[in-house]
Amino acid sequence: MAYSQKVKNSYLETLQTIKDNGLFKSERLICDVQGADIEVEFPVGSAHKQLINMCSNNYLGLSSHPEIVKAAHEALDYRGYGLSSVRFICGTQDIHKELEKRLSAFLGVDDTILFSSCFDANGAVFETLLDENDIMISDRLVHASIIDGMRLAKAEHDTYKHSDMAHLRKKLEQYQDRPRKIIITDGVFSMDGDIAKLDEIVALAEEFDAMVFVDDSHASGFIGKTGRGVHELCGVMDKIDIITTTFGKALGGASGGCVSGRQELIDLLRQRGRPYLFSNTLAPTITMATMKVLDILEASTERRDKLERNMKWWRTALTEAGFIIVKGDSPIVPVMFYDAKLAQAFSKDLYDEGVYAVGFFFPVVAQGQARIRTQLSAAHEMSHLEKALEVFVKIGKKYDILGKSKEELLQIKL
Amino acid sequence: MEEKLLDFIRDEFLDDPDTEIDVDTKLISGGMIDSFSLVSLQTFIAKEFGKKIPAPRITAASFDTVRQMVEIINQF
Repeated sequence: MAYSQKVKNSYLETLQTIKDNGLFKSERLICDVQGADIEVEFPVGSAHKQLINMCSNNYLGLSSHPEIVKAAHEALDYRGYGLSSVRFICGTQDIHKELEKRLSAFLGVDDTILFSSCFDANGAVFETLLDENDIMISDRLVHASIIDGMRLAKAEHDTYKHSDMAHLRKKLEQYQDRPRKIIITDGVFSMDGDIAKLDEIVALAEEFDAMVFVDDSHASGFIGKTGRGVHELCGVMDKIDIITTTFGKALGGASGGCVSGRQELIDLLRQRGRPYLFSNTLAPTITMATMKVLDILEASTERRDKLERNMKWWRTALTEAGFIIVKGDSPIVPVMFYDAKLAQAFSKDLYDEGVYAVGFFFPVVAQGQARIRTQLSAAHEMSHLEKALEVFVKIGKKYDILGKSKEELLQIKL
Repeated sequence: MEEKLLDFIRDEFLDDPDTEIDVDTKLISGGMIDSFSLVSLQTFIAKEFGKKIPAPRITAASFDTVRQMVEIINQF
């Protein structure tokens, strides 16, 4: 037998190590559509529980929006279920080109190329566009998919301290002789919810002749006055060379992603981007539903405005209640506990009381930075947020953490 | 060499330069340095000590402490 007991045991040991380290992840079954209220089965086989969802990336509440669902249904009749092909053989339909054009206009760039996911988009960019003489300089907190994408590239890489512009300058000075330099950042950082200083990054890029790459997955559709993203918020709409984003969060929530940017870069990605060349085309349902998302966002800023109101209310309410949150202007609102056990216990109590928000601790975040990440949605009504706050405060009193400083929280022993 | 490495690590990686670290502080498994940022250390070692350490020798396990780093640097 090829799969011997010895081989099997090696995997069992790895799994046991993950469990022993308290890092084993279990899936919760959502027996419902995605939304502000969800019915959850956890552990598997237990009674279903009704929860307020405070941990999805459904920022604009479009994941189960009737118009989006309708558009996906119509796509099935109009252009079928699948293409059974990569894009360049027989997988490009008129709707794919139309979506690329629509996204380019929405993001204010030359052109766009679709991918099966933003993970794939980030996997394509660096390997395709850079060679061994070039340098990639990334923020230390960029998303894992960017890190994997950079690992695929032959170009050298280095990092700068999170959002530290002086450190970025130092790195640009260090590598200024390189033929091509690229600064790489998330638009909104997913763990802290803080926003990249894109205006300052662009100024440095201009000074040192570097390109700028932004992954705006946690921003597209709602950050900026009309939801174009962090480049709109920072007033550098026409200054970003490469934007990657996902359709799996605010823009409908299914899957799929894209690279948008300078014409030559997109042209080259179409020729040499491996996840584009060797992975299936985007399904017609997602393609057409994403266009419907853009219709909705271009017609009105109502949804992003509501999200912003929810975000401001939630941030103020948590702070006034005595919680420590990571300050910022995004709908990712981390509530800090610092101690992993406290964050885990708090998250479990939230679940028991009907609020779903997940705890994050080392190694997902730095040691001593355990938190519960809450995420706002335009699908949340005030009733959801008031109820969630009530539960947070109730559990906060149970552990006697309200109004406590970081040092005081670290003294709590569970 | 140890002091130079410690000074560089404080400056390059730590947000709070007053954080106490010594030659046995677990830098990667302790969450102070993420393994992807080790390239900065590789560059520094090449520039400061004239030693080019091959990338496969610089891992989260082999570069976890300054003491380990010095041992590897001395092999080149």
